[in-house]
Amino acid sequence: MPQFFLNKRLIILLVSIIILVALIGFSLSGRSKLSWPEQFIKDTTGWVQTAVSRPTQYVANFFENLQDLQNTYTENKALKSRLDELARLESEVQLLKKDNNELREILDKKDALSAFEPKQATVIGRNPDKWTELLIINKGKSDGIKKNMPVITANGLIGKVKNSETFTSTVQLLSSMDPTNRISAEIQADGESVFGFIEGYDDEKGLLMMKRIPSDAKVKKEQTVISSGKGGVFPKGLLIGKVVEVEPAEYGLTQTAYIEPGANFDDIEHVMVAKRGSIQPDIKDMTDDKEEEL
Amino acid sequence: MRKFLLPLLLLLFFILESIFVELMPPKVFGNEYILVPHFLIIAIILLTVYGPKNYGVLYGFLFGLWFDIVYTEIMGIYVCLFPLVAYICYKLMKVLQTNIVMVTFISILGVALVELGAYEMNVLIKRTGMTFATFSMDRLIPTLILNLIFIILTIYPFKKHFEKLAMSLDA
Repeated sequence: MPQFFLNKRLIILLVSIIILVALIGFSLSGRSKLSWPEQFIKDTTGWVQTAVSRPTQYVANFFENLQDLQNTYTENKALKSRLDELARLESEVQLLKKDNNELREILDKKDALSAFEPKQATVIGRNPDKWTELLIINKGKSDGIKKNMPVITANGLIGKVKNSETFTSTVQLLSSMDPTNRISAEIQADGESVFGFIEGYDDEKGLLMMKRIPSDAKVKKEQTVISSGKGGVFPKGLLIGKVVEVEPAEYGLTQTAYIEPGANFDDIEHVMVAKRGSIQPDIKDMTDDKEEEL
Repeated sequence: MRKFLLPLLLLLFFILESIFVELMPPKVFGNEYILVPHFLIIAIILLTVYGPKNYGVLYGFLFGLWFDIVYTEIMGIYVCLFPLVAYICYKLMKVLQTNIVMVTFISILGVALVELGAYEMNVLIKRTGMTFATFSMDRLIPTLILNLIFIILTIYPFKKHFEKLAMSLDA
């Protein structure tokens, strides 16, 4: 059948299907960093994105400010009522901090799991096809940002660094579906904290799912969820959100809690990359056989 | 100078998509709907229809690759979809007549093809758990409406510009 192979279009089609499968396989193979042409392209595009996103953000902020002005009166009232409470809380925090430091000194324990060094960054791009939720920020390897570092806003944890190039990095939001997107978290209860993993996002409810909570743990609504610092990369105490509902998991051995994220994933402009302060365990020490990082 | 005008124009839409997603307040349209801008593929389809021969497929490939590297970090999805859709539109245009209503219809069809293709691929590689029913109701239809508005707003300037480009290359 010589005619069959001479058909140019058919051959192009077959070759492109092979390339497609190979490329997707290559991209999903769990590589530890991007190849250098990709890094170069991302960095160069980052310059253009920065140049364009700055002025547009100014304009957008201007309109937002106008909107804010309308609500100033009611907001001011609400804020004033909370101010008294805040003063009391602040003195309490001071006292506790001092106490904590003194006790730490007695114990001779210098670094805490919760210590971290924040690095400011601005969002310069976002993945327009909303299948994987990725942000591009304007800080990269040259600012000490590395893969897997947690990214937070003032309202809580939003995700982790997926890849970092020299001048830009990509942030994967908690709301994106990825089996490797797993964070060790703890629910703050009165007695003992309950531990589990933040794994996955319920699109329809708009809530994060915290899985592998022991079935005998008593989790209640409105309890706060923070990062536990046990994964080795994330510091302890980053706010994730609040428990909305709890239900038993598939086989009844564990429970799944639905968590309303503290940060708004749709409106992110300034972020902080939290570099863990205390010693990070070597990844080789933690992965003995099949254990994955995080 | 004129040579760089077309890549610059496409670059503008490439960046505009990301800015649109970043700044669009979800409150305006309701949280349950997902609106995805497809300005770049619309520009590429109109380039195929009105512009010089083969430009659409070529630019579709280049910008598809770029899109994959910069935004999705999964190479292979848009690098195949963009040129494929451009080629389908090119073939369709040979059969159909080029009046503005027909071209609008073909562009929206192209956007729908890109969305469906991307959905199928993401289901295959397990990056989404969305069922087809929720996909079509919450994502496909609002997206098509958004992009239809964009096409109606921009089709005339695009037509003018790309036809001029084709003329200048012929001469």
